[in-house]
Amino acid sequence: MSLFLPKLACKKDIDEVIKGVAEKVVVLRFGRDEDSVCLQLDEILSKTAHDLSNMASIYIVDVDKAPIYTRYFDISYIPSTVFFFNGQHMKVDYGSPDHTKFVGSFKTKQDFMDLIEVIYRGAMRGKMIVQSPIDPQNIPKYDLLYHGI
Amino acid sequence: MGAFYCAVCRQTSFSGKGHIFGKSHQSRLRVVLLKFLEKVKEARRTIKKPQVEKFDGPQHENKFWCYCCGLEIERNVTDGNMTVLHGGLLEHMATPEHKKNTHKFWWENKADPKLRDKVIITEEEIERFKDEVTKVLDTCVEKEDEFIKQQADHIRAQEKQRQEVLQSLIEPEAEQELPNGNHGPGNSVDEAASSHFRPQDQQAGPSWVDPMVDVQWAGLGQALTFIGYQDSTNSGNVHTGAIPPWLQDDPLEGSSGAAAQPEIGPSLQDFLKQKEQEKLRKLPPNRVGANFDHSSHTDANWLPSFGRVWNSGRRWQSRHQFRQEEGQTNRHKRKREHGTDGSKKTKTE
Repeated sequence: MSLFLPKLACKKDIDEVIKGVAEKVVVLRFGRDEDSVCLQLDEILSKTAHDLSNMASIYIVDVDKAPIYTRYFDISYIPSTVFFFNGQHMKVDYGSPDHTKFVGSFKTKQDFMDLIEVIYRGAMRGKMIVQSPIDPQNIPKYDLLYHGI
Repeated sequence: MGAFYCAVCRQTSFSGKGHIFGKSHQSRLRVVLLKFLEKVKEARRTIKKPQVEKFDGPQHENKFWCYCCGLEIERNVTDGNMTVLHGGLLEHMATPEHKKNTHKFWWENKADPKLRDKVIITEEEIERFKDEVTKVLDTCVEKEDEFIKQQADHIRAQEKQRQEVLQSLIEPEAEQELPNGNHGPGNSVDEAASSHFRPQDQQAGPSWVDPMVDVQWAGLGQALTFIGYQDSTNSGNVHTGAIPPWLQDDPLEGSSGAAAQPEIGPSLQDFLKQKEQEKLRKLPPNRVGANFDHSSHTDANWLPSFGRVWNSGRRWQSRHQFRQEEGQTNRHKRKREHGTDGSKKTKTE
């Protein structure tokens, strides 16, 4: 499970992580530990965490524990993964309607590692939005509904 | 219309003489002439006042390309010792062949006729130049000779000094050698120093000095200063195997009490911080969040700058918008108990 990944339980912890981690990508997984897709994602995250330790820091957040962030990031489907670098939110174009977060689980560990590398390289060059290297077929599909409609 | 190679554009054109009137040819021609004229102008400046330099070698052996004649010509004239700058250039420009070629070049390329005369140097000018050159050469040669004489004098003076020093050394030894044979090694240095100057022969080779020197040192060994008997029975000696002073504790240490010796250099914290900063400097300066101020304080309701899903504006606007929406929903929930709507934005970007 996510026994090896650090958990953040309150807004303060999340704030500290986002502001504190320097020169590395911050990966926040929003979801519930019991959910099946979250379990899959968590497994991929924990298995790749060590290899990516120089580029990224991965954290687990329970959506019920920090409702303000759930609302702020507009998380409607779980799991959702949000990326930050040096306190700045990184957007990624996956070919899906929502660029601000990755919804669902990754198909393979390599997909996730490629994504992290692309985000890291883009951030190092000053880009705040990057193009995802993952094959669009492997991106989970979902419907995005606008609130106001 | 045969093939016609234009040396100025370095192209082969098949349009015949029309090429010459073309724009590109004329512009290239202008550039070429400009460069050429610069060189000639510099050479002209030296006609009235020729520059003659002593220095020779690769500096002065460069050639230049005369566009009119299509030849590579030596720029300077040199005879091994002295060089006349731009001499070759001027000489070449004065030759009648060059004059003919210049006219031909100008006619063929339809260049500006006003510039043509600048490239040719008349005979009177070259005669004047030659006269000036001879005059300057003479003065230069004189200067050279003077310089050499000065050097020679300097060297002679140095040589003389050396000789004197050598002789003053040899002199007292020679003095000692004779009396040594009579009453054995018992002379002091004072006697040797006060000896008169005896002219020795100029050979003064090192092989002759050495045996004298050996005798001299043996004599000096008896004249050492005595500074008293060193009593080391308490603290020990190098011969008895005692601890050397530099490994012993400083006697002043006990007086300063518990304070440690003043440590030099940064503390551990500072050192680690410095190492981190070194690593940061290697990162690209235009990375995302490079100017992130980690030490700035944020209050409890800080939110990161999140680019929202449906937003097309700036990122912090999404935070602002979120706060507004939160404020509205809270107001609806709590009926006006909510004070500020958190519109103040803390800059952490």
